[in-house]
Amino acid sequence: MKELNQLAVTDEMMLDERDQIIDQLMREYSDDILHLVYTYVKNRTIAEDLAQEIFIKCYEKLNQFNRQSTIKTWLYRIASNHCKDYLRSWHYRKITLSNKVFDHIPSKSKQVEEEVIKHSEENNLTNAVMNLPLKYREVVFLHYYEELSLKEISKITSVNINTLKTRLKRAKELLKDKMIEEV
Amino acid sequence: MNDPFKNLKSSMEKSIFKDFSFSNERKNAVREAIRTNQQSQYHTETIIAILESVQHESKDGYNISVQLFQKNERAFQKNEGQLYTLLHLLENKEMLTSNWINNKKYYSLNSKGKKYLATYKQDSTKQGLSLNPFIREATL
Repeated sequence: MKELNQLAVTDEMMLDERDQIIDQLMREYSDDILHLVYTYVKNRTIAEDLAQEIFIKCYEKLNQFNRQSTIKTWLYRIASNHCKDYLRSWHYRKITLSNKVFDHIPSKSKQVEEEVIKHSEENNLTNAVMNLPLKYREVVFLHYYEELSLKEISKITSVNINTLKTRLKRAKELLKDKMIEEV
Repeated sequence: MNDPFKNLKSSMEKSIFKDFSFSNERKNAVREAIRTNQQSQYHTETIIAILESVQHESKDGYNISVQLFQKNERAFQKNEGQLYTLLHLLENKEMLTSNWINNKKYYSLNSKGKKYLATYKQDSTKQGLSLNPFIREATL
């Protein structure tokens, strides 16, 4: 990755050089980014669309990358902001949310499916995390799934490290409450 | 105390992220978008060259293209039509102004265009940046 960082800092990057950087980023991080996006939007197709947009955005903004962070945290930061923009967007609030209403109208097949998912041990933890409020879900996911340090997460989300620690602690409490509830 | 999130990674990998990866089709779509973006991207130098070509006298499209050719600006070679699109856009942006003489459209610099040119010459790196959003618009 060091090589990648050096590539990215030359001022007048040749176009095909930028191509290569994006290719390398995709090879290295595309699944991680896709999964990160999914935790924000909870929909596979939308996650794929957004991840695609994120890499194109990176390409366009590559000139603005400065060495203050690693290219990895820079990429994550773009991804996280892009998702938050999406969740704030008119399209999401008006179209996607109103479609969700239909999900709540009970249909038998869906219920069965959900029951099955719920009952597997493995999914308990995942579901609990996915149902956490966004600010907790975000830090839990970045820390435990993407295995980033709090310092890195702080750079990605622009949230103070101590605040992140508090959120992690609170997330654990929320999780425990949930588990007790279920038992 | 046991960390309740310790198994999160394996739990997610086995459930919601099972068979869920960024496919090659998606990667190719990104590459494709980048390629299209490159093809229609004007360079700052091209725009500056156009502005320079009309800074002393007004010229019609053909004469501008001749001058660009002399300056070794080959962005519109084999693609001359694109020059007129860009001229039109520069006119819309009020960088250029035009009038019709003998059925030919003559372009000349507007005050805004003069300003751009002057600042570009003063500080070429800075100008390159501030022209960027404009160039982007030109690619749409």
